[in-house]
Amino acid sequence: MLAEVLTQLVIVISILLPIAIAVFIGRKRLARTRAEWRTRLRDVAPAIAVLLIVLLINRLARQRAPRLSREIGLHLTSELYNIEGEFILLFQSIATPETTAYFSLIYIYGYTFLLLFPPIAYFTLSETRTFRRLLTAYALNYVIGLVLYIFVIAYGPRNLMPAEVAETMLFDTNPQYRYLTREVNSNTNVFPSLHTSLSATVATFAAMTRSTFPKWFPVAVVLAASVAISTMFLGIHWGIDVVGGLLLAALCVTLSDRFVGRWSISEELSERYPQFEDRFPWVDRDE
Amino acid sequence: MNWTPTPPDDGVSRRSFLAAGATGAAITTSGCIDRVRSVVDQNTDEQLSLSIATVPADSDRQNIRIARRLEANLKKVGIDVSLDMRSQSELLKSVLLDHDFDIYVGLHPASYDPDFLYEALYSRYADESGWQNPFGYSAIYFDTLLENQRHADGDERKRHVQSLLTGLAQEKPFEPICFPDEVRVASTDRFDGWADRQDLFASRHGYLGLEPADDTDQLHALVTDGRLTRNLNPLSATFRERDTIIDLLYDSLLTEHDGSLHPWLAESVDLVDASADTDENDAEDDPSVTATVTLREDCQFHDGEPVTAEDVAFTYRFITDTSWNLAQMPSPAPRYRSQAEMIDGITVGDDGYRLTMTIAGGRAAAKRALTVPILPKHVWSDRVNQYAGSQTFTPTQGQWSAVTASNIPPVGSGPFEFDSRSEDEYLTLQRFDEHFTLREDVTLADPIAELSEPTVAELRFEVDPSSPSAIGRIADGNADLTASMLDAYSLGAIPDSSSVERLETQSQMFYHIGFNVRNEPFSNPHFRRAITQLLDKKRITEDVFNGNATPVATPLTGEWVPDALEWDGEDPVTPFAGSNGVLNTEVAKLAFERAGFRHDDNGRLLGGD
Repeated sequence: MLAEVLTQLVIVISILLPIAIAVFIGRKRLARTRAEWRTRLRDVAPAIAVLLIVLLINRLARQRAPRLSREIGLHLTSELYNIEGEFILLFQSIATPETTAYFSLIYIYGYTFLLLFPPIAYFTLSETRTFRRLLTAYALNYVIGLVLYIFVIAYGPRNLMPAEVAETMLFDTNPQYRYLTREVNSNTNVFPSLHTSLSATVATFAAMTRSTFPKWFPVAVVLAASVAISTMFLGIHWGIDVVGGLLLAALCVTLSDRFVGRWSISEELSERYPQFEDRFPWVDRDE
Repeated sequence: MNWTPTPPDDGVSRRSFLAAGATGAAITTSGCIDRVRSVVDQNTDEQLSLSIATVPADSDRQNIRIARRLEANLKKVGIDVSLDMRSQSELLKSVLLDHDFDIYVGLHPASYDPDFLYEALYSRYADESGWQNPFGYSAIYFDTLLENQRHADGDERKRHVQSLLTGLAQEKPFEPICFPDEVRVASTDRFDGWADRQDLFASRHGYLGLEPADDTDQLHALVTDGRLTRNLNPLSATFRERDTIIDLLYDSLLTEHDGSLHPWLAESVDLVDASADTDENDAEDDPSVTATVTLREDCQFHDGEPVTAEDVAFTYRFITDTSWNLAQMPSPAPRYRSQAEMIDGITVGDDGYRLTMTIAGGRAAAKRALTVPILPKHVWSDRVNQYAGSQTFTPTQGQWSAVTASNIPPVGSGPFEFDSRSEDEYLTLQRFDEHFTLREDVTLADPIAELSEPTVAELRFEVDPSSPSAIGRIADGNADLTASMLDAYSLGAIPDSSSVERLETQSQMFYHIGFNVRNEPFSNPHFRRAITQLLDKKRITEDVFNGNATPVATPLTGEWVPDALEWDGEDPVTPFAGSNGVLNTEVAKLAFERAGFRHDDNGRLLGGD
């Protein structure tokens, strides 16, 4: 079942990405990237490494975190529900088979595409800082999200008002997606909505680079907004989770600006410590 | 003899209220009450607030829907409510071990025999952690009723049980709501005879004597509850409601099938009534029985050690005190408590296969005491010694390592042994080739003759995320059986196909709400009654269960239910305070005021006075 769902996801994404590359990036930029990719890759390698390490930690934490969370976490389902009540049921008023299908597709495919396309786009920029910032912001989202998931134990609206969201509930209408989502998440990880925070992060970057990728900007905004709404429409997240996700996105974008230098680490190293390269020739082996 | 109910409309007499308060105070356990939100200050203008604990829809969609209906109606009568959602094992920990709850909505495992009520309600268990008296209920009169049914048989017992149910329906330490239909689906691709065993999946016999097609050597079952991959300790209170898997891994002296008991690990059990005159020390003339048990010879545990009468004697003593006399206070197990307590004495014969047990109870209750899983003494006494050797040996009753540890791999003597597991993914058991049911010279009598052998080499229980996806996999032929009871909302997804069989039986388990009567205001029976009148059981079975459940006023069904308590379109004792699913707020509020509570001008219910 998982293999089936994953295969579908891979197929859809591998159709969407080339189209997006052709439409949003343009041939000229691709050609230049082809010439410069080695130097760029060297510049961005540390950022990629950091993200990969964070993802790996995330993966490993899947086994440990729930136990730790049970020990030190706070049960907050009732607080979330007491504060916002049945707010998310507002979105049920636009529920039709079409909107349900739209938001379900957005939640799974739209979101995956939204996260995977920007790194490709920003890699084609001759300056590497945007790319490095984006990956750093992704990593921060995951790290802070993981910590919050350990401290906050809460179930989403679908677990509290299953009957009210049954018609749009993703796992009711498409039970097979449970095999996918349970691989990446536990049902008590609701605050904040990482779907929202990562999508909002992408949309913010799209706004910052809109002069370079003018066509991508509106698409990213619409997709990101759809993802945020889908999490509530499908009954997966509370409104507070989405607000938390937006705040997290703002924080991560700001922090990425502070953490990521004007120049890449390797540039800085070679400027400040020219002897470094002599001692560690492999750092520079591509040239 | 018969229960004399207090008229429901006489308000609360000062004496009974004080008495209830006193019992509540006397048995309040320390600690952990900060999370419980019930606050009743005598002369306060504060609104009464309480919390309802239950499990998320992912675990059981019915529970949370009942809880939400109750929540809505509690709000209508002016009570501040919060919903406390816990995973299944955490909910049971809060309720059974920590006693940290106000009201919970859950599924009670119950039993084939009414004696489970003894464990559920006996006063002396009110302070203990475990399935024994989680409500903290204590009433001497009830203890007498519980003892009476335990010691009687036949029609006399039936009368005692009926009195007990009558009292229960008035007092309501917990309120049964309905018995669900247990629905499962099975694929006919690889196994035959599903329909014949549809009533058996709660017991070990559901998985024994399976009829696989020629080339099939594995049953691939789906479960929607991952707890069985995390803990296989037979004494754990929180990791299961029902002991089906434990009963495949462990043998018991007798085995239950369709409400009657048959020799299992015991080759024979002879019950002789020990008349009162032999019981000189006992002032009461409670009858007891003497059971002469002959074990099957040459049975083995899964680690190759022989099963002897010593193991049987150990098991019953160990459940009574898991600290094995090494602590100052006995530390009874959170499971099988009242069954083990019935055993007054055990004498082990010289040959190691024979033992004599004195059991304080009638025949029916005594037989039920013999369904406890038999533990290997060498494994468990080693374990206790190990713990006792450590610096910090504090065998906290019901909560210490011996009864909470995962016990993986489990060593039992049952027809299947542990093979492997991955947390929240799967549990695989394999046939135990040395099991007595596989021997040529062992023949079991009907009706369990054909339901005893481990016929497949492997049982694989895979955790599937939800009922609809599990049904989908059976329909696609990717698995053989949904072992868990399916959620009612998913039943419409069962395809009309010749390769998919729908299996259905009425559950022994019942949905209920439980009160923590240790605390005010739940110590006040009139308050509890007023709350139960907010439950529209009929509509719950129609809407939440789509009709796949039977509303009840009692935790038992069939012959045990007195006529006056039969469901008759509405609850015969505390009918829903409204009609057609809509609460009559005025009537419902009045019930609380009669219980000694008052509302302020804004309609908020204030703490009792």
